[in-house]
Amino acid sequence: MFKKILFATSASPVCDNAAKVAFDLELKWDARLIVFHVLGIPTHGFSPFVTDVRTGEREQVDPDYVDWVKEEMRNTYADLLKDTENVTLEAAVGVPHREILRKARDEDVDMIVMGAHTRPEDIGASRFRNVVGSTMQKVAKGARCPVVIISRPCTTCWKLFSNIVVGIDLSKASGAAFLWAARLAREVDANLHIFHAVDLAGTEVGQIKSQEEIEAHIATVRGKIENLYLPQLKGYEKVTVMVREGVPYVEILKQARERQADLIVMAHHTREIDPEQALLGSTVEQVVLRSACPVASVNRLDKTVDTSA
Amino acid sequence: MPEGILCNKTPVDTVEQLQALLADKSGKQYYEEMKLLDVDTPALWATIQKSLKSRLRTWLEICARCGMCADSCFFYLANDRDPTQVPSYKIQSTLGDMVRRKGKVDNAFMHYAMDTAWSRCTCCNRCGMYCPFGIDMGVMFSYLRGLLFSQGFVPWELKIGSGMHRIYRAQMDVTTDDWVETCGWMCEEYEEDWPGLEFPVDKPNADIIYTVNAREVKHYPEDLAEAAILFHLAGENWTVPSEGWEETSLAMFAGDWVGCKKQVESVYAAMERLKPKRMVVTECGHAYRATVIEGPYWAGLKTGQTPVESFHYVEWVAEALRTGKLKIDPAKRIKEPVTYQDSCNYIRNAGLRECAREIMSYIAEDFREMRPCGEHNFCCGGGGGLNGIGRYREQRNVGLKVKRDQILATGAKLVVSPCHNCWDAIRDLEEIYHIGIRWSFLKPLLLKMVIVPEHLRPEE
Amino acid sequence: MYEFVTGPLAWIAFSVFFFGLIWRFVWYIRGLNWQLDRVSYGHHTGYGVKGAARSIVSWLIPYGTHSWRFYSGFTLLVFVFHIGIIITPIFLLGHNLLLEERWGFRLPALPDPVADTLTVAMMIAALFIMLRRIALPEVRILTTFYDIALLLIVVTPFFTGFLAYHQIGDYSFWLIAHILSGEIMLIAVPLTKLSHALLFFLSRAQIGMDYGIKRGGMKSQGLPW
Ligand code: SF4
Ligand code: SF4
Ligand code: SF4
Repeated sequence: MFKKILFATSASPVCDNAAKVAFDLELKWDARLIVFHVLGIPTHGFSPFVTDVRTGEREQVDPDYVDWVKEEMRNTYADLLKDTENVTLEAAVGVPHREILRKARDEDVDMIVMGAHTRPEDIGASRFRNVVGSTMQKVAKGARCPVVIISRPCTTCWKLFSNIVVGIDLSKASGAAFLWAARLAREVDANLHIFHAVDLAGTEVGQIKSQEEIEAHIATVRGKIENLYLPQLKGYEKVTVMVREGVPYVEILKQARERQADLIVMAHHTREIDPEQALLGSTVEQVVLRSACPVASVNRLDKTVDTSA
Repeated sequence: MPEGILCNKTPVDTVEQLQALLADKSGKQYYEEMKLLDVDTPALWATIQKSLKSRLRTWLEICARCGMCADSCFFYLANDRDPTQVPSYKIQSTLGDMVRRKGKVDNAFMHYAMDTAWSRCTCCNRCGMYCPFGIDMGVMFSYLRGLLFSQGFVPWELKIGSGMHRIYRAQMDVTTDDWVETCGWMCEEYEEDWPGLEFPVDKPNADIIYTVNAREVKHYPEDLAEAAILFHLAGENWTVPSEGWEETSLAMFAGDWVGCKKQVESVYAAMERLKPKRMVVTECGHAYRATVIEGPYWAGLKTGQTPVESFHYVEWVAEALRTGKLKIDPAKRIKEPVTYQDSCNYIRNAGLRECAREIMSYIAEDFREMRPCGEHNFCCGGGGGLNGIGRYREQRNVGLKVKRDQILATGAKLVVSPCHNCWDAIRDLEEIYHIGIRWSFLKPLLLKMVIVPEHLRPEE
Repeated sequence: MYEFVTGPLAWIAFSVFFFGLIWRFVWYIRGLNWQLDRVSYGHHTGYGVKGAARSIVSWLIPYGTHSWRFYSGFTLLVFVFHIGIIITPIFLLGHNLLLEERWGFRLPALPDPVADTLTVAMMIAALFIMLRRIALPEVRILTTFYDIALLLIVVTPFFTGFLAYHQIGDYSFWLIAHILSGEIMLIAVPLTKLSHALLFFLSRAQIGMDYGIKRGGMKSQGLPW
C-alpha cells in the first residue's frame, strides 16, 4: 500500500513525531522513504535571496549551503537513520508547499507524511502569510495522494491500528477519503468508523432548524451512506456508521475520542474556507491541531485503490 | 591580472561558466577578481564614440547644474538629502567624467561607476520628468550600465542573470520541458475546482498569447494557475507558447544588450509562429518594459512595435471588467482602505495609469492614492535589479523609506502591487520596518471577488 | 575701438552666433538615431509631434509643470531671468534705432521704464540664482567655475548696458564694454552650454517624442509634465 513515502519535514522539532512515524513506515511496510526539506522561500521578483524556513534569516543559496542543510538533516535524524536502508535525504529551495507537491508529483509517491507545521511554528506561515498561508493546508489541498499529518506522538504502530475514523460529507473528495480508509482498514484489519456531521452553521444560514428536521436530515444521510458507501466495502464487516449534528471539527474529534481512533481520515475541502482569510483555518486544520492521533487528508481517487494488483 | 576567471569581460554563454559563477558564494571571489580587472580604455572610448550620440551628449553638456532634479530622486530623499545623491551629480561624476576623460579611466573609477549605476539609481526615470531640459538620468544610467557590462564591471547576480537569458532564454534555469510540464501540472491541480479549465500550449491563432516571468514557473506556479482560471472565467481563447514564454529581462538590468536582443527575439518568434491576435504579459513591470517598450528596438523593429499588439496584465483586467467578461461580486469588493503601487515601468514609462484606476474603481470601495501617484509616483525602491543585488542590500533598504512613508500616509493596510519587483520591495519593507501592511497581486484578489458563471461552477 | 567692435567684430559675433546655432541644430538632428535612442522618430509622427509640442509648451509656461510648481521660488527667478534676457535686448528702443539705421527696419520698442524694470529684475534674479548656487548644498555640489563664468558672461552686457544708458560713470567706456560683452555672449551661445537657447527646444522635443511615441503616449493622454 505504501511503496514510496515522502516525508516533508521542516527539519525542526515540530516534525519529530512525524519523523518517527515516517521512519517506522519505511521499516514496517518496506517502503522507500524520501526525507525532504524545503530550505528557503524565494522572492517573487529577481533576487538570489531566500528566507531560511527555520531561522527566518536571509540567505543566499549555493550548493554548499544546500549540502550543509542536508548534513544538518542527517544529524537531526541520525538515530532514526541508523537501521534504515531505503531512505534518501533531499533538500530544495522554494515555497514549501509548492516544492513538496512538486516532489510528490515527480516521484509519484503513495503518501506524504508531515508534521503539523502549525501556524505559530511555521515561519512560512506567520512571517509570510501572504506567500504561503499554511503549508500543511496547501499541501493537503493540492496533493493527489493522501497526506498524513502528525502533530502528537503516535503510540501505535500503523500495522497495529485497530480503529480508523473516516469523516465524510458525501462529496466526491470524501468518497476518495472513504475508499482509502477502507483499503487501509482492510489491510491492517482495523475497525472502520464512518462518520458524518450535519453542519448546523454551514447549512441554511440564519435558519434555526427544528429538532424533527434535523433528525429527518440525519436519517436521510444515514440512508445515503448505507446505500452509497457500504456496498463499496465488498463485505468488509468491521464497520460502524454514525451521523451527528454539530460543528464538524468538534464532532469528528469527539467521535475519534469515543472510538479511541488510531487515525482520522477526511477530505480537505477546497472551497470550504478561503485559506488566506480564515483565521481558524479549515476543518482539517482544526482537527489536526487538536487531534491526539494522526490525521490523513485524502481528496482524490489516485492512490486510494490498489493498482498493483 | 587583466581578466579574472569569474570576473571578466566575456558574457556568460555556457552552462559551465554559469555553474562556476553560481558556485562562488555571494560572488566573493568574483568581486575580489574585479578589484584587479583591467579597463580596456581604447575599447571603451571606441564604444562611447560609436554609441554616444547627440541626445546623450547634449544632455551631458547642457545640464544647467540647477539641481531641479534633486527632489525627484527617491534616493536623495531617503538619504537625508545627501547632495551626492542628486541625479545630475551621480551621472556627471560617472558617465560625464568618463566622456570628458575620453574613456581613460581606471579600475577605481569603474568601481565607483558600477556602485553608482546599480546602487544609487534604479532607472526609474522620475528625474527626467523634473528636469527643464528633459534630461533623463535613468536613460543615461542604463546606457552607462551597458558600458560597464562590456568592461566586466557588473554585479555578480546580474552577470548570472544575463547569462541565464543567454543560455535558457529565461531569467532562471527553466527549460522548455519544465515550463510545459508546469502548465500541465497546474491544469491538473486546479481542474477539479474549475471544470473545463485548460492550459493550452502552442495553440495557433489564439486571441491571446500569454507570457510570464520565469519565477512564476519555478517557484510560484499558482500565479500561472490563477491567470489560467481568470482567462477561463472570462471565456478567452488563449494560449502560451512552449518557447518564447519568458517576458522578463535581467539582461536589461545588467546592460547586456546582446542578451536583451536574444531574449526578446525568442518572444517575437513565438508571436510569429503562433499568430495570436495579441499578447498579454503577467503582472510584471520590467517584463513589459523590456519586451514591449524597449524590446522592438533591440530586435531592430523600425516601428518600435512588437509583432502583435501587446498588453500588460492591468490592461487586460481593465478591459475584462469594462466589457463585463469578468464581473465582480459587489458584496466582495475590498472594503478596507487600499492603495496602489504605480510601477515606473508600466505607468510612468508606458502610460497605463488609467487602467490601474479603472481596475481599482471596480474592486475597491475605499481606494486611496499615494502622494505623488500615477506617472509621478516614486520607485518602490527595488527597481533596476537592485532588489536582487547582495552587494547593495543596505542601500536598497535605505531607499525603501520613501515608499514606506508614502504608504503610511495613505492609511491603507493593503497595497495592490501588480509588479513582481515592487511586490518584493514592499514585502521587504514590511520585513524591515514593520508597518503592518499586506500586499497583493491582482490575480488572487480578483479570484476572490469575481462572479463565477453558473456553467463554470464545479458540481457538488 | 568703437568702429572695431561695432564693425568687424559685430559681424564675427553674429556670424558665429547664427552659423554656430545652425550647426548645432544640424548636428543634433543628424545625431538622432532611432535604434540607439530607442525612439522610432520616423513612425507614428502624429504622436511624436503631439508629444514634442506638449513637452515644449508645458515647460515654457511659468508654473506649467509639476517641477516648476515644486520649486516655486526658483521658478520665479528662472522666468524673470530668461524673460529679461530675451525680451530686453530684442525690443530695446536703442537697439532698434541702431537696427533701423543700419538695416532700415525696426521692431516695436519697449517703453524705457519697462526695459529698465526688466533689466534690473533680471540682474536681481541672477544675483539670487548665484546665491542659491552657493547656499543650497544640492546645487553647490553641481556648480563648477564654468557655470559661474557663464552667468557672468550673460549678466555683464546687461549690467554695462544699464550703466551706459543711464550715463553712470564714463559713458563711452561702458558703451564699449557693453558692446564687447554682448558680442562675447553671442559668441558664447553656440560654443558653450548657453546653446541650450536652441537645444532646450530640441532636447524637450526629443524627450516629448520619446514619451509620445514610445513611453505611453499611444496609450494615454500624454505625460502630465
Ligand atoms: S534638473 Fe536637469 S539641468 Fe538641472 S541639474 Fe538636474 S539634470 Fe541638470
Ligand atoms: S532614474 Fe530614478 S533613481 Fe535614477 S537618478 Fe533618476 S530619479 Fe534617481
Ligand atoms: S520595481 Fe517597481 S517601482 Fe521600482 S523601478 Fe521597477 S517598476 Fe518601478
